[in-house]
Amino acid sequence: MIYAVFAPLLFAIVIPFLSRMKHKIHTGWLILPVPLLVFIYFVSFVGSGFESQVSSYSWIPSLDISLSFHLDGLSLLFALLISGIGSLVVLYSIYYLDREERLGHFYTYLYIFMTAMLGVVLSDNVFALYAFWEFTSLSSFLLIGYWHFKERSRYGAIKSLLITVSGGFSLLAGLISLTVVTGTTSIREMVGQADVILESSFFPLILIFLLLGAFTKSAQFPFHIWLPDAMEAPTPVSAYLHSATMVKAGIYLMARFSAIFGGEPSFFMLLSLFGIITLVCGSYMAVRQTDLKAILAYSTISQLGMIMAMLGFGTDIAIFAAVFHILNHATFKGSLFMIAGIVDHETGTRDIRKLGGLMTFMPMSATLALFGTFSMAGVPMPFLNGFYSKEMFFDASLQLSGYAGTFVEVLAAVLPYLAVIGSIFTFVYSMYLFFGTFRGKYKEEQLPVKPHEAPFMMLLSPIILVVGVIVIGLFPSLFNNGLLTHAADAVFGAEVTKEISFWHGFIPPLYMSLAVVALGTVLYLTKTSWEKVYTIIPGNFSFNRIYDWGVNQLEAASNRITFTYMNGSLRLYMILLLASVTTITGTVLFISDGINFEVSDVAPVTVHEVLIAIVMAIAAVATIFVTNRIAAILVVGVVGYGLAILFVLYSAPDLALTQLIVETVTVALFLLCFYHLPNLTKRTESIAHRGMNALISVGFGALMLVISISAYNSQFFSTISDYFTENAYKLGGGDNIVNVILVDFRGMDTLFEVSVLFGAGLAIYSLIRLRKNKGAK
Amino acid sequence: MSNLAVLPIVIPLIASVISAFIPKKLGLSRFIAKLFAIIFLVYAGYLAWVVFTDGIIVMQASGWAAPFGISIVADYLSVTLVLITSILTTAAVFYAPSSLSQLQESYYFYTFMFLMISGVVGAFLTGDLFNLFVFFEVLLMASYGLIVLGGGKVQLRESLKYVLFNVFSSMLFVTTIGFIYASVGTVNMAHLAERIQEAEQAGILTGLAVLLFFVFAIKAAIFPLYYWLPNSYIVPNPVVSALFGALLTKVGIYSILRVFTLIFNHDIGITHEIFTWLAIFTMLFGVIGALSTQNVKLIVTYNIIPAIGFILMGISLYSSAGIEGSVYYLVHDMIIKAALFFLVGALVVAAGTDDLRKMGGLITRYPVLGWLFFIGSLVLAGVPPFSGFIGKILLLRGSLEQEEILLTVAALITSLLILYSMIRIFVRGFWGDTVEGLPEGQNKKVRHLTIPAAVLLAISIFIGIGAEFIYPHVETIANMLLDRAEYINAVLRE
Repeated sequence: MIYAVFAPLLFAIVIPFLSRMKHKIHTGWLILPVPLLVFIYFVSFVGSGFESQVSSYSWIPSLDISLSFHLDGLSLLFALLISGIGSLVVLYSIYYLDREERLGHFYTYLYIFMTAMLGVVLSDNVFALYAFWEFTSLSSFLLIGYWHFKERSRYGAIKSLLITVSGGFSLLAGLISLTVVTGTTSIREMVGQADVILESSFFPLILIFLLLGAFTKSAQFPFHIWLPDAMEAPTPVSAYLHSATMVKAGIYLMARFSAIFGGEPSFFMLLSLFGIITLVCGSYMAVRQTDLKAILAYSTISQLGMIMAMLGFGTDIAIFAAVFHILNHATFKGSLFMIAGIVDHETGTRDIRKLGGLMTFMPMSATLALFGTFSMAGVPMPFLNGFYSKEMFFDASLQLSGYAGTFVEVLAAVLPYLAVIGSIFTFVYSMYLFFGTFRGKYKEEQLPVKPHEAPFMMLLSPIILVVGVIVIGLFPSLFNNGLLTHAADAVFGAEVTKEISFWHGFIPPLYMSLAVVALGTVLYLTKTSWEKVYTIIPGNFSFNRIYDWGVNQLEAASNRITFTYMNGSLRLYMILLLASVTTITGTVLFISDGINFEVSDVAPVTVHEVLIAIVMAIAAVATIFVTNRIAAILVVGVVGYGLAILFVLYSAPDLALTQLIVETVTVALFLLCFYHLPNLTKRTESIAHRGMNALISVGFGALMLVISISAYNSQFFSTISDYFTENAYKLGGGDNIVNVILVDFRGMDTLFEVSVLFGAGLAIYSLIRLRKNKGAK
Repeated sequence: MSNLAVLPIVIPLIASVISAFIPKKLGLSRFIAKLFAIIFLVYAGYLAWVVFTDGIIVMQASGWAAPFGISIVADYLSVTLVLITSILTTAAVFYAPSSLSQLQESYYFYTFMFLMISGVVGAFLTGDLFNLFVFFEVLLMASYGLIVLGGGKVQLRESLKYVLFNVFSSMLFVTTIGFIYASVGTVNMAHLAERIQEAEQAGILTGLAVLLFFVFAIKAAIFPLYYWLPNSYIVPNPVVSALFGALLTKVGIYSILRVFTLIFNHDIGITHEIFTWLAIFTMLFGVIGALSTQNVKLIVTYNIIPAIGFILMGISLYSSAGIEGSVYYLVHDMIIKAALFFLVGALVVAAGTDDLRKMGGLITRYPVLGWLFFIGSLVLAGVPPFSGFIGKILLLRGSLEQEEILLTVAALITSLLILYSMIRIFVRGFWGDTVEGLPEGQNKKVRHLTIPAAVLLAISIFIGIGAEFIYPHVETIANMLLDRAEYINAVLRE
C-alpha cells in the first residue's frame, strides 16, 4: 500500500525532468498511468467481501510515529475518489493546459497533493495524518498561486494557506491532546478508548481543536471565505482539490472521529449547526454570483455543509446518506467544474452575464451540464444520483430524536426546515447555472472568442463523470454493497444496512423534495424581482472584509506595537530593562521570602570609610547633573579613585593598584578624545519623566543593596577559599594568593581574558584602519 | 583522555591566532580557515561519538580537582551543541568569501570569527560559573570586532547599543556571581548544584536565581530584554548575522537551560512560572516584530526571538517532553537560523535591496534560491516532516500534559505567524512580475551563497525525517539534564 500512496510523490520528483520534453509530448500523457494504476489497485479491493487492511512501516518508532496505513471502507471510498478523479483531472488538464505553461510545476504540485491526500485518508497514525494534512494545504497553496503573476492568485493562495494552516495547527493540538489522554498515536486504538476520551477533562478542548481543523479545511461557515478565492487556480485544480477531494478532508476527519464522538450532544449540536448554516448560507450566496466558478465554489461550500450536518446527525441513515453524497457530489460537481472550464476555454469568459444560448454551439457540453445541474438540484428522476442522497438527507433530518436539552431539541426541530430552505436555493442556482449559460439569448458581441464545441478528448473526463451520475442513479445497488455500506459501517461503528431505492411511497421526504422543486422553480423564474434582498442581507457585511481587515491589521498593528518600544532610543531600552529586572526580581524576593536585611552582623564601618562613600556617592550623582564634559570626566574619576582608596582600606593593595592605573588611563584617554567630541547637550524632559527615571534608578540601586546584604546574611556554606589559602604556597608555589589563583588555580580564566584583550586590540585597530582606507578612496 | 574535552575550545583559538598573522594573504587565510573548520568539524564529531558511547568527559584545568580549579565538562548536551557549532563554522567559512568584500575579509574577519567560536564553545563546555562569564567576554569582544567590521555609520550606531547592553549584562553577571559566591561559597556548577540542593534553595537563593536568569535573558533576547538585538543584527554582513543569530542568543538560552536544570531547580513554582509567562510574551512579541517590517533581514532577525520563546517554553515545563522539546528545538533552530540568514544574504544580493516592497518575481531568475527559501520557511514554522516539527510536537505534548492551554495556544498562534511572516517574503519577493532593474551578473555570486545554505537545509530536513537517528540522543540529553546525578558525579567524584 505504501507504493500506492507514494507513487505520485516519486513521480513528482521526476516530473521536472519529464517536462523538459513537453514540446514533443504533453507531460500529462507521461504521468497519467500513475493515478490510473493506483485507482485500479484500489478498485481491486471493492466487493461485498471487503475486509479492512493494515500495513505498517516504521518511521520514528521512539516517538510512536509510523507510516501505518489502514484501509477500511471509508478510506477506500476516499482513495477511489482521489485516484479516480485524479486520473480524470490529469486527462482533462492535458487539453486544458497549453504546452507553453509551466507544466512541470503544475504536475509536481498536483502529484505531491495526490500522495498527501491519499496519506490523509489512509494514515492510522495521527502524526502521519497531520503531516499529510499540512502537505495538502501547502500543495493547494502552490496550485492556487500557480499563475502567481496575477495579484488575485497571490491573494487567494495566502488566504487559503492562512486559514487552512491555522486549522492544521489547531488539529495538531487536538491530536496531541488525544495522544496525551489515550497514550497511543493510533486512531484505531483511540476508538477503542472512546470512553476514556469522552470522560477526560480534555474532551471539550479536543473537540474544539479538531472541529477548527475540520471546519477550516472543509470551508465551513465562517471559514468558507478562502474557497471562492481559491478559484484562481487552474480549473482542473478546482475540480480536483477544491471540490472533489481536499475540501473533503475535514469531512473525512469528522467521519473518522465519529466513531469516538458519535452520539455526544455537543458533537451533534456543533456539527449539525455549523453544517446547516453553511448549507443555507452557501446556497443563498451562490445565487448571487456571476462567475461560473464562483457559483460552483459557493455550491461546494453548501454541499460540504450538508455532508457535515449529516455526520452531525449521526444516525445510521444520516451517515449512509453522507457517504453516499460524498460519492455523488464528486461525480456531478467534478463534471460541472470541467464544463465550466470548457466554457471558459471555448468562449474566453466565465461571466454568466455575458454567456447564454450556448446550447447550439456546444450541444455536448450542454447535455453534460444538464445532467450535472439537475442532479445537484436534486430533481426527482431515477437516473440522477443527487436526488437519492438528497432525499435521504431529508429523511435523516426528520428522524432526529433522543437528544435531551432545550437548545438541542429546538435545533433538531428546525433542522428539516433549514434543510429545505438550503435545498431551494440549491435548486435555484442549479437552474441559473444551466439555463443562464446554455439557454437564453446568445450575446455574441460580449464574448472574446467565437464559441465552439470542445475537442472530444477534453469532454471525455466530464462524460465519464456524468456516466457515473447516471449509472449510480439507475443502479444504486451496484455501489451499495461493495463500497458504500463498508464506508458507512466504518463511520457508524456498527453495521449499516440500507437499500437504496427510488420510490418509497408518499412519505414526508418526497413532499419535501417536491416542495423544493416547486418553490425553487418559482424563485428561479422571479429571480430578478427579489435579487435586491442581497443588498440587505448580507449587504456590505462579509467575513471577507473581516479577514482583509484582520490581515491588514496584523501588519499595521504589529508595526505600531513594535515601534512604540523599538524606537531606537537607548534611554528607553535601558529604562525598560531596569524596570523589568527590578520589579520581577523584587517581587520574587518578596514571595520567596528572600529578604534578610539584617545589618548588625555586617562589619563595623569607620568614619573615613563613610566619608569616602559619601564623596563617591556625591560624585556619582553629580555626573548626571554637570553640563560640562571635562567636569563630567573628572567627576567620574573621583568615583574611581574613591573606590581605589576603599580597596586600600580593605587591605587589597593589588586591586587598589589596578584600579588606580585603570582610572588614570581612562581619564587620560577621555581627555585625549575630548577634543573630537561634540559638546554635551542636556535633554529636557518633563518632571513626570524624570521622576519615573529617578524611581527606576533608585529602585534598582535599592534592589542591589537588599540583595547584597541578604546574600551576605545567608551564608549557607563556608567558601572554598580556605583551600586556596592553604595550598597557594604548598602546591602553587607562590606567596601571593591572588597571583597564584590568577595564573594557576584559575589560569584558564586568565588565558581567555588575555584573548579578550587580543580581540579588543584588533577590533580597535581594524576599525581605525578600515575607516582610514575608506576615507582615502 | 580528559584533555579531549578542552580541544574544541583550543582548535578555534589556534585558528584565530594564526589568521591574525596573515590578514593580507587572503588565499592563505581562507585556506587556513577552511582547514581548521574542517578539523574542528571532524574533531567535534569524534568527541560527540566518544561522549555518547562512553559517557561524560571532564577535564580539570591544570589538574586542580573540582571545585577548586576550573572544570571543563563535555557532557551530552555540550558536545551536541559543539558539533552543531562546528557545522555552522564550516558552512560560514565557505559562505564568507562570496559574501564579504575582500577588504572586510582582510581586516581580521577569520580571527574574530574563530575567537568568537572559541568563546561560544567554551561557554557550552565550561562547568564553572565564573569561567562562563569569561567565555561570555571572549565571544562578546570578538562579536564587537565582527559587528563593526566595515565600519559604516549605521553599524557604529547600532553596535554602540549592542555593546552597552552587553556590558550592562556582564556587569550584572559578575555582581550576581559575587552574590552567589557570598552565599554558597563556590562557583563550580556541579558543586553549586549539590550545595543548593542541600540548602533547599532557601532564602535569597531564588532571588539570585532570577537575577542570574536576567543576565542570561539579556543575552538570549527574552522578552522584555531584546531591544538591542534586531537592529544590531542586521547591520553587519549576512555571514556575521548568521553566526550571531545561530549562536549568540543560543549561548544565552543554553545557559538558562543548564543553570535551571542543574542548579536552580528547587523552587520551580516561582522560577519556572515566570518562564512560562515570559515564554508566551517572547513568542508573541517576537513574531509581532517579524510582521511589523518589510525589511527581509529584519524579518528573519525578529524570528530569532520566538524561537527562543519556544525553547524557554520547554524549560518552563520542566518535564521530559518539555526538556526534550527544548533541546530538539535548540538544535533545529541553530541550523535553520544560519541557513535562513545565508539565504537572506543571497536574496539581498539577488534583489539589490532588502526592502520587500521593491522586490518581485525573483523566482524566474533564481528558482533554486526561491524554493530553498520556501522550504526554509516551512522548516522554521515547524511544518512536518522537517526538523522544527519534532521539537514542536514534543513541546506541545509537554505543554498539554500539564494542561497549559494558554501556552499551547500561544505557541500555535506563533507558529502560524512565523509561517506567515516568512511566506510573505516568498510570495511578495519571489512571486509576481519580475521588477525592473534587478542587479545583473549576480548569478554566480548568488549560486555560491546558496550552496552552504542548501547544505544546512539538507541537514535540517534530515533532522526531521531522520528523527529516529537524532531523537534517542536528545532523550539521553534530557534524561541527564533532569537527573543531574550523572553530571555532578562526573565532575566531583572522578
